[in-house]
Amino acid sequence: MEDKSKSKNRREFIQSGVRLSLALALGSVSGLALSKVVKDDYVWQIDPFECTQCGRCATDCIMSPSAVKCVHAYDLCGYCDLCGGYFKPDANALSTAAENQLCPTAAIERKFIEEPYFEYIINEDLCIGCAKCVEGCTSFGNGSLHLQIIHDICLNCNECSIARVCPSDAIKRVKASEAYHIKGDFSKNPES
Amino acid sequence: MKNKGIIIFLLILTVIIVVVIVGDYVSDRPNRSRPNPFAYDVEAFKSVNPDLIHYKESKNFRIGFQEPAALAIQNKKIYVAGDRSLKIIDLSGVLSSEFNLPGKVQAIEVWDGKVFLAIDNRILIYDEAGNVLDEWQPLKENSLITAIAATENNVFVADAGNRRVIRFSAEGEMRGEFEGKADEDALHGFIIPSPCFDLNVNDENELWVVNPGLHAFENYTFEGNLRSHWKKTGMTVDGFSGCCNPSHFTFLNDGRYVTSEKGLVRIKIHKRSGEFEGVVAAPEKFTEEGQAPDVAADNQNNIYALDFDKKVVRVFKPKNSTGL
Repeated sequence: MEDKSKSKNRREFIQSGVRLSLALALGSVSGLALSKVVKDDYVWQIDPFECTQCGRCATDCIMSPSAVKCVHAYDLCGYCDLCGGYFKPDANALSTAAENQLCPTAAIERKFIEEPYFEYIINEDLCIGCAKCVEGCTSFGNGSLHLQIIHDICLNCNECSIARVCPSDAIKRVKASEAYHIKGDFSKNPES
Repeated sequence: MKNKGIIIFLLILTVIIVVVIVGDYVSDRPNRSRPNPFAYDVEAFKSVNPDLIHYKESKNFRIGFQEPAALAIQNKKIYVAGDRSLKIIDLSGVLSSEFNLPGKVQAIEVWDGKVFLAIDNRILIYDEAGNVLDEWQPLKENSLITAIAATENNVFVADAGNRRVIRFSAEGEMRGEFEGKADEDALHGFIIPSPCFDLNVNDENELWVVNPGLHAFENYTFEGNLRSHWKKTGMTVDGFSGCCNPSHFTFLNDGRYVTSEKGLVRIKIHKRSGEFEGVVAAPEKFTEEGQAPDVAADNQNNIYALDFDKKVVRVFKPKNSTGL
């Protein structure tokens, strides 16, 4: 009788132990899954105010063409006829002729809005992230064209090959919830 | 045998050292940047024919500001604002007086012993001892004052934020404003993509306003009606480039224009007609990708440039002693 009771207790102990283990495992998996969903991951991004337009985003990204693209802060843009980011310095006319365009891949579309304003639209598929237009816009305009890492292209490598060679340390890990640093606040850079 | 081992060890060590040195030399570190194959090349426009350079730098003086802001010259005195203070310096560079201000200066004008300062988008008027003579109401929201020009009865204020010129009486009463719009095709209103919007009154009491988006100088009546204009677009030495040039300008005592540009930083002189006359300071004189210096001139047509990057006032003297 006593042996039977002992045996039952052992069985109950094992059963409750297994139940507890299962509950713990289930809880851990759920917690892990939840943390994956809720946790803010980190991604690589360029600080446009630190960028010196060195050209390495085009040459050193493991993606080809680069995951870095030019983006346009439209609320900052002057919609200029003579756009330093669109035209070569020695352009012979303010026209869309290929010989006048600064972009090596013709990735910027110039669209007439109303006299004398023009809109400049970046074709992401053609852009190679060379920053030539960014340099022209920053020097001669107000810096509305700037580079950003596009996250549906970027592989988010552990060690970003561009960040490794960036001369101004402009590429940093940022929270995935704030993945883009789009310009548009003059207070960061009073006179560009 | 023992020596042989040492020699082999030294040889291996030498090879390792050579490999490390060569590896470091050819490595792709940030401070060993390769030339940028996509560089924005304006080198061709930086060199200026020496015959076109009519001025030489005669001296410069440190002003002791971390953030120099604006420059004016009146009655053989230089007025330099920066770091929430104003310094009055004689033409040889000796400090005459200095006083603190309640904020950062956006623009400065000196007229008849009164110092007009734009601080926090309002005009404050001081005497040379630092006493506040008057304080006007702030401008409306989104205003950004970039220049002031005073005459006997009028004060003109350039508001880059709202792309307009505001006319005040000498007592601060607002008399009107205009946005530079006209029926002519050539005039569209002020186009101001960045805070570069200057204005001045010349020796004939004419109000001239820069329309930087059009690379134009526009002459308005005090009521805001267009009288004439001239413009010149181009990267070459006789034109204005980019979206926002000229960034600053002043007049010589005979009405010629002294212009200061950003991007390709340079100072030039244009005749009254607008025709290019010569260069005061070529791009090689300034920090690459630096800011356009603020400019002022004295009665001898010496030109004073406030170099924001080097934080000095630079004096340029005409090579021709007549100043012409």
